[in-house]
Amino acid sequence: MTLADRIESYRATLEEWLRGLYHGMITHPAYEKIEKEAEDAEDAFLLACFPDAFGIPSPVSYYTAELLPYIEDEFESWERRLWDRDSYIERKGQQYHF
Amino acid sequence: MEPFVFVGGKGGVGKTTVSCAYGVKCANAGVDTLVVSTDPAHSVSDVFDQQFGDVPESVEGVENLDALEIDPEEEVTAHLDDIRHRLSDQVSAAMVNEINQQLEMAHQTPGAYESALFDRFVDVMRNSEPYDRVVFDTAPTGSTLRLLALPEFMEGWVNRLMHKREQSIDLFEKAAIGNNEPRRVMDGDPVLERLQERKEFFEYAGGALRNDAAFFLVLNPDTLSLNETERAISDLDGEDLSVRGIVANKLTPSPDPDENGRGARYLRDRVETERERVERVEETFDPPLVAEIAFRTREVQGDLLADVADELDVDVRAESPTFV
Repeated sequence: MTLADRIESYRATLEEWLRGLYHGMITHPAYEKIEKEAEDAEDAFLLACFPDAFGIPSPVSYYTAELLPYIEDEFESWERRLWDRDSYIERKGQQYHF
Repeated sequence: MEPFVFVGGKGGVGKTTVSCAYGVKCANAGVDTLVVSTDPAHSVSDVFDQQFGDVPESVEGVENLDALEIDPEEEVTAHLDDIRHRLSDQVSAAMVNEINQQLEMAHQTPGAYESALFDRFVDVMRNSEPYDRVVFDTAPTGSTLRLLALPEFMEGWVNRLMHKREQSIDLFEKAAIGNNEPRRVMDGDPVLERLQERKEFFEYAGGALRNDAAFFLVLNPDTLSLNETERAISDLDGEDLSVRGIVANKLTPSPDPDENGRGARYLRDRVETERERVERVEETFDPPLVAEIAFRTREVQGDLLADVADELDVDVRAESPTFV
């Protein structure tokens, strides 16, 4: 193995590690954060659609009921998230994996 | 005049009589007319002494006239069944139960009845091509007003929902790393599609009501009825809906001048008070008084209906809808 080869493989390993670190420390938490935000926005949407699930009468639930056949996934994950939602800070800080 | 005519007023003032009489008047003038009743008590059937249902049927003995009776209860059930049907097509068996619960809840809210009625109203207006004129015999004032204010309110609500949905889909698309499939995709999202459909529906409803509908209010010559009519006029004005006229119904007929018995004095007295009230309508109410209909001794049916129709001083010519 020539010196050039060794430098080459060293750089490849380093690059892989750096990319991994960058992904793990910066990119992934950022994407996770966006995903959480998207879920929060979806929760708000579902709450606006079906407030009567919480006993708040809604004048539009007659119309939003038409959406039910199309939001199976949303509905399920909405219920799931509602069940195990912790405090607000905990939810917002989840991507740091303390 | 506008192709869609709504007849409103307090309960029991004679909305059905006036709508049917106006329908007969239009039909006799050669205008293809449809009378739509939303009263669950089915009084249009009583007036024409003929059973009407959910599909327009021609009125026996009157040419150019059809009638239709909407049953809100049935409409709610039909709406529920339609969604259930689509639910079983789309959703896995495990979730059907969960969603069904939500669905039934939505159809038991107080607004469901009104929404169903409104849907059908708009549906009739949208598919009114076979007719030149559609006369709506509406439910008593309060609920009708709420019904007519619905489009604007609902449009705003649907807009907000669409915005929220777009926001979350947009974020989901951004959260998909590299070539990963995003959890939700904006293109062809069925939820946005349905909301858009609803939005167009409410836009049409609002436009048709503001541009192609005329409102008539029926009142009886008593203070309660007058006050309610006054409020209704200002409410309708506030909604940008035009009240074209007021119909005074159930006026007491005056006795012959040579009569002076107890009955005659009673009648004269009543006529006097009613005169004052009718004058109040003429002087202080903005829309013109288009008819004064005297109390009949029996139910207004058959020939009597044509009599009443003659007393209505309302234009029968119908323009075609401008807002399509």
